[in-house]
Amino acid sequence: MAISLSKGGNVNLSKEVPGLNKVLVGLGWDARATDGTAFDLDASAFLVKLDGKVRSDSDFCFYNNKVVADGAVQHAGDNLTGAGDGDDECLKVELSKIPADLDKVVFSVTIHDAVTRKQNFGQVNRAYIRIVNEDGGQEIARYDLSEDASVETAMIFGEIYRVGADWKFKAVGQGFVGGLGPLAASFGVNV
Amino acid sequence: MEIRRGQRLAMGDLCQNTDSFQVGLSISGLGSEIDFACFGLNAQQKLSDERYMTFYNQTESPCGGLKLVKPDQDSARFLCQLTALPANIDRLVFTAALNSSETMWQLQGGYLRFLVANQEVARFSFSGADFLDEKALMVGEIYRKDNGWRFSATGQGFNGGLAALVKHFGGDVAEDSLQPVGKLSLEKKIAAVAPKLVDLAKKATLSLEKHRLSSTVARVGLVLDASGSMYAQYDKGKVQQVIERLLPLAVHFDDDGELDVWAFSSKTLALPAATLQNYADYIASAEYGWRNWGMMSINNEPAVIEQVIQHYSNTNLPVLIIFISDGGVSQNAAIKKLLVEAAALPIFWQFVGIGGRNYGVLEKLDTLAGRVVDNCGFFSLDDINSISEQALYERLLNEFPLWLEAAKLKSIIR
Repeated sequence: MAISLSKGGNVNLSKEVPGLNKVLVGLGWDARATDGTAFDLDASAFLVKLDGKVRSDSDFCFYNNKVVADGAVQHAGDNLTGAGDGDDECLKVELSKIPADLDKVVFSVTIHDAVTRKQNFGQVNRAYIRIVNEDGGQEIARYDLSEDASVETAMIFGEIYRVGADWKFKAVGQGFVGGLGPLAASFGVNV
Repeated sequence: MEIRRGQRLAMGDLCQNTDSFQVGLSISGLGSEIDFACFGLNAQQKLSDERYMTFYNQTESPCGGLKLVKPDQDSARFLCQLTALPANIDRLVFTAALNSSETMWQLQGGYLRFLVANQEVARFSFSGADFLDEKALMVGEIYRKDNGWRFSATGQGFNGGLAALVKHFGGDVAEDSLQPVGKLSLEKKIAAVAPKLVDLAKKATLSLEKHRLSSTVARVGLVLDASGSMYAQYDKGKVQQVIERLLPLAVHFDDDGELDVWAFSSKTLALPAATLQNYADYIASAEYGWRNWGMMSINNEPAVIEQVIQHYSNTNLPVLIIFISDGGVSQNAAIKKLLVEAAALPIFWQFVGIGGRNYGVLEKLDTLAGRVVDNCGFFSLDDINSISEQALYERLLNEFPLWLEAAKLKSIIR
């Protein structure tokens, strides 16, 4: 039974699943049920140091830069089968491969062309992020964030971070005004 | 307080006392009338109880928690008392729907606002630029969440109008869930676009109610004999009158309000659907007018019957075909074979003989053997326009409900 988190809540992944290494991060939302331009949502990840900034632009994992930090984080898009099935976007994280100078992986979702399309997260229903053990497909934690999203066009869904030798996952649910560009800039990515 | 589209907030942040507030709705800049409604949905977000559709024809919910009033300001106002709502009502969706060719991008301005003691406390404003071709909007929603109520400024909708909205809330589009739509709109729909037909719509409504067809959803098709012997009927405008008399039935039954029309003589011609927009000079103008249809020769019923069957081969809804003939029917064996085979299809054929004789097999349809259900009816008139409209609707709708029941029993229709 997966742990259901609410905004701000966290779970110690290493304690839940001792020896956990390969993690699938699934992100999903309801497709638009009404008429109008579809919601085109893009997931991305930022690998950041203790100071919250990337080492370089290549630590920004998104649809145009799918393999980051020698494969520590991979953007798998929506083509996964098996455990990732049902998620709209999926990223793979191999915890043992995360370089020692990196402290956390931040998972965000942005609405493509949100301003022109007059869209925001409040219009998107049932968005979630879930953490799945790739070995065996067990869902470890889940965070449904619909009610925590409102007029923002970019959202940090959650983050995986180091605590000593352990890895924890935190349900962040933090909106960010301005979309992917300013969001990336806030992590020190040159956009 | 200004609320933006997409914003979600606790009702407690909007008004202190969620047991006595009002929701005011307004849309301006459109020529046509707008129907405002509030759908009370269950936790599956479906309208499981039609009494919780609060609109002009049903202005109060059974629990009294929702009342629609005609305000001095705003286009519509709902008085809300959330504690009165039963536990299975999980969500209130405030909607606006158009019944005309206009769409929501044409609106100038609109809002949903909250009032407490007649004072505005919050407002969600929108404009035509927020929309494209929507004809029905979910303007905003009040819903249960974690033992409280929240509000979401939805501002999204459907191009298909009220019917699409009901489908969204109903899951099962057919019959029951569409009842409010059918009932509420026949006269209103017609009044907005074709006031000339309002009187007919009222008469049709009477017959529909009498035959318990108020909630039936069906496709309606009209087959017109256009053989040479019909010349005078076309020339004198009598066929045009047939269109006008039948259109209210199509608007009632059909979810898109269209009357599918075929003309036949030796060949068959599929005409553009007759609608409230084009009906007025339909016979004189559809496909460049009846004189240019290339008809007016002998009559070939089997060809048109086959084409009609083909046309409805993919529909899930029952189909009512009104087949006008002035007689001279000669291809009895072929017609018989087609109609016997067609008995397994969700199509009812109402043949109407007008001003002719020698209706051949059409007169014997009721006793046609070898059919799963009786899928045909026939009556003849010297002149279709010689009887009153009321009498015409009565005769047209006489056998159709019997077929509906029989066809349901045999699982020909759902």
